[in-house]
Amino acid sequence: MKFSRRTATVAAIAGTTTLALVLTGCQTGGDETPSDEPITLTITTFGTMGIDSLYEAYEKEHPNITIEATNLENGGAARDDAYAKIAAGTGLSDVVAIEEGWLSTIREVSDAFVDLRDFGIEDHKSDWLDWKYAQGTDADGRVFGAGLDIGPQGLCFRGDLFEAAGLPGDRDGFAEAIGGANATWESFFEFGQEYTAKSGKAFFHHPSFFWNSFVNQQEEGYYKKDGTTLNIKDNAALKGQLNLIVDNANIGAGAPAWGATEQARNDEFAVYVCPSWMLGVVKGFYDAGTTGTGWDFADVLPGGAANWGGAFLGVSESSEHQKEAADLALWLASPEQQAAAFKVAGPFPSTLKGQELVADATDPFFNDAPTGEIFASRAKGVVAQVKGPEDSVIQDNVFGPVLDRINQGEITDGETAWNEAITLLDQLVKQ
Amino acid sequence: MSTLQAGRGGGGLTFRQKLANFDYKASPYIYISPFFILFAVLGLFPIIYTVNVSLYNWDLLKGQGDFIGLGNYVTTLTDPFFWNAFGNTISIFLLSAIPQLVAATVIAAVLDQAIRASTFWRMSVLLPYIAAPVAVAVIFTQIFNQYGGPITGILEALGIEPIRWGFDVFPSHIAIATMVNWRWTGYNALILLAAMQAIPRDIYESAALDGAGRARRFWSITIPMIRPTMIFVVITATIGGLQIFTEPKLFDGQSNGGANRQFQTIVLYLYEMAFPRRDFGRAAATAWILFLIIILIGLLNYAISRTIASQDIKRNIRVPSRKTVRPNGGLK
Repeated sequence: MKFSRRTATVAAIAGTTTLALVLTGCQTGGDETPSDEPITLTITTFGTMGIDSLYEAYEKEHPNITIEATNLENGGAARDDAYAKIAAGTGLSDVVAIEEGWLSTIREVSDAFVDLRDFGIEDHKSDWLDWKYAQGTDADGRVFGAGLDIGPQGLCFRGDLFEAAGLPGDRDGFAEAIGGANATWESFFEFGQEYTAKSGKAFFHHPSFFWNSFVNQQEEGYYKKDGTTLNIKDNAALKGQLNLIVDNANIGAGAPAWGATEQARNDEFAVYVCPSWMLGVVKGFYDAGTTGTGWDFADVLPGGAANWGGAFLGVSESSEHQKEAADLALWLASPEQQAAAFKVAGPFPSTLKGQELVADATDPFFNDAPTGEIFASRAKGVVAQVKGPEDSVIQDNVFGPVLDRINQGEITDGETAWNEAITLLDQLVKQ
Repeated sequence: MSTLQAGRGGGGLTFRQKLANFDYKASPYIYISPFFILFAVLGLFPIIYTVNVSLYNWDLLKGQGDFIGLGNYVTTLTDPFFWNAFGNTISIFLLSAIPQLVAATVIAAVLDQAIRASTFWRMSVLLPYIAAPVAVAVIFTQIFNQYGGPITGILEALGIEPIRWGFDVFPSHIAIATMVNWRWTGYNALILLAAMQAIPRDIYESAALDGAGRARRFWSITIPMIRPTMIFVVITATIGGLQIFTEPKLFDGQSNGGANRQFQTIVLYLYEMAFPRRDFGRAAATAWILFLIIILIGLLNYAISRTIASQDIKRNIRVPSRKTVRPNGGLK
């Protein structure tokens, strides 16, 4: 998952801190440390995962354990950080958060992480959604990642702006207006065109979110189900979606894909694709505690249900305290803590019990929307797509630039957009 | 006694004397050895290791693959994105190095005059250099934010179409070069100032007596006399400028030099190769290509700055010689 860009300083400072933490984390030694000896565990997370608030409770339960946490600004920073340390063979935190987007790459070097079956994860296997558990398992059956959240998607929208334009602005009314359970991307954009025509304002901030959602909705995405064969060049569905996006670029705000704070505050766009973890991003546009901004959250996604992102926790093989680190990772991934993290930052639990625990959750920022109920509904029928090794490169460096140029009004016809993407694909991805 | 005797037996020196001799000969090497040991570990080894990596198919995570000889160099040199990065680097380098050196020389010349509170001014030109590059980049990224940043605000107030600093190629280069200039101008000014301070004042005095004006003294004395320092500054600016990374990386934290690589520099290209794309072999090859480019451009700059400066120095030689002819204070 990607998160809004805060200040880049955070990443840089966090990067340096990681090093310091790693150095201090290696002070105590030996696997046979008795459990009451003081131990420092390091953990690296990214974005707004909502688990940082749980450390204190864990430390209270385990007085000998001190948690030194590093939070990187987004999944990309966490990926670069993890890759560099795996390549160096040293430096990984005891517990490492892994994002779904680069999980398939980590799977190829999963021996950098311990097999969580050795630490009892199998006893809790039934907690997780089957596909989530399977995602964290490699070809040899080793479980290298304990699932945290999943990313079922709904739509965040500005009910007040829609009403001001004479369009339905309540949760159900908006969902119905774009087609309800049968909403398609076409009917969604039709609504957007109407909104822009009536209000004179842009409808969305950047088209990449519609693109990513659409790709995730396909049975096979950038890769075929085998996870190695590319599935792009003759893909009429992808080409059609790119066309649709180009045709509707006129109702976009031309805002940056991430960090559209200014535009949000100025009411420059009215809709935002919201996987569970994105709720925190939208809130991040405003000061902490702000409500009544007009944002609401609807139980609808054009084109049907889809999963976007989701994180895992791995325990590094190089950890000096594998047992304690695995205990911490499994505790953080337990249904109760997943539910607690959801209440703090919004990432939706990947365990069934966790989902039950948040079933009655509401969110005051989103006009008291029943977020727990909506996400449970949005998660129905969702199965994560098989991702290939270059999935994030294709998303960020092949379609990313093209969508950016569409957003800036530099590409205005679908054919050009598609051809540019294919050119980039040929240049960037070994086929 | 016996040990002393034995000591004498070998070459007629006592153990103490031998030790002193050894101390005399070896100590200097031992004193400077930390540098060379550190250099071997942190400098030489990575350089040699990089050559090794660049000759293989080398996945960042999976490690060494097949030997492919110069394959990585060929693919890099035929990659349009590499040349895009090369062009961006040169563009940003020129936009930063030239104004920076001109401004640094002028500032140094001003500081070289007898001005009030000179220490204060000298300290203040160094301040930007002390600021962490990350902080500089973050602040300037906000200033150049095309969506409601202060510069956009000023342009809007003046009725000028907002400039897409983060999206268009040339404006983004200007924004990045500005960060570099802001940070390095004062630093270079102080180095040049040190060189200027070393110029004997009586040369200026005699030139002034000969009727040379301020500008003439600057061009005919100051510039030629600081030539070695100028060359040093040019070379370090070249190395720094071609290795630029932090500023463009932070200018758009989400990508490696803009979604369309509008401001991807060679080091950012190298970074993209190594980390997001995990092709360590090509990253290593890129590092070596960059090394060669720096040497080439460094030599070129050296040659240019030598010729520019030496044209003046010939004229300059006459200044002291004339002085010797004239008796001290003869014109007064």
